[in-house]
Amino acid sequence: MSGVIFEKVKALIVEDNTHMRSLLRALLNALEITQIAEAAHGQSGLEVLRERKTDLVLCDMAMSPMDGIEFTRHVRNDKQSANPFVPIIMISGHTEKHRVEAARDAGITEFLAKPVTAQHLFSRVAEILERPRPFVRCPNYFGPDRRRRQTEGYCGPWRRKEDLQDVTVC
Amino acid sequence: MAEKIQIIVPEAYPQMLNKSDAARAVLMLRAPETRAKAEAAARSYAAPMRAAILKYVSEMEQAGDDIAQIFAKVHEIRGFADTAGLFTTGRISKILCRYIDDMERIQRPMEPNLVMLHVAAIARAARAEEGDMATGEAVAAELAALVARRLEEAAGSR
Repeated sequence: MSGVIFEKVKALIVEDNTHMRSLLRALLNALEITQIAEAAHGQSGLEVLRERKTDLVLCDMAMSPMDGIEFTRHVRNDKQSANPFVPIIMISGHTEKHRVEAARDAGITEFLAKPVTAQHLFSRVAEILERPRPFVRCPNYFGPDRRRRQTEGYCGPWRRKEDLQDVTVC
Repeated sequence: MAEKIQIIVPEAYPQMLNKSDAARAVLMLRAPETRAKAEAAARSYAAPMRAAILKYVSEMEQAGDDIAQIFAKVHEIRGFADTAGLFTTGRISKILCRYIDDMERIQRPMEPNLVMLHVAAIARAARAEEGDMATGEAVAAELAALVARRLEEAAGSR
């Protein structure tokens, strides 16, 4: 199958470990994604995003001086953010529920648990392409809709029915 | 008064690929040949990753009773071990990560001996030849059961 589909995609890897950066680069190369920038922590990742159009971000969670959660918050919420809608796949060995929820609430698009495999990484990219999620902007959150499932035929109570009159769809 | 909520549909913000390219890309991402190519690329990193893990193991052993340092190293080991083909090492690392993370979250003191038991088991598994895998798996199963009991006790004594 031809790899020309991804040739224009520009990716950014934000990861402090050189071995993991190399592995992620190799996996992206297998898709013929060759326009790949690298950053060793969130702060330098933000600088790359300011200087270069980016279509996909792979980001580690635990980094110093700026971790992946803070990086994601900046990408989503800074007024100067180059692309607040850019898909962010957070990659981490910290798979405890509270950490995954913290990443979700910062505005990541997908979460990928280490150890990284081609199958899992590609399934996250496919999810982003196949089912792009609406973004939600409210006073305490901006990012992809955190509700994954829409239950068809839902007939239970509307817990937030008063919200409906204040929802703007654009 | 309810707060204003704005929903921005996918058609209203830039996408990685246009719709027709995205559909083709999904087929490519799911194609067995794409995965095989990527997995072959990943396998080529097994040797350097194994070397990196052995370096982290040495650093973990040298960390003494510095739990933060041990956690930092074991976290890296856990992230690489499966890619390097060190599955038992990865499994024991995951058990230790869980123990340290859960005990910190519920703010209970850790048992230094239990941590050191894991450190020794991780080091032994990482340096073992393939013939020792069965022993390593048995050790991992024992440690997992021990950590589960200790976490249950710690949660119950809060």
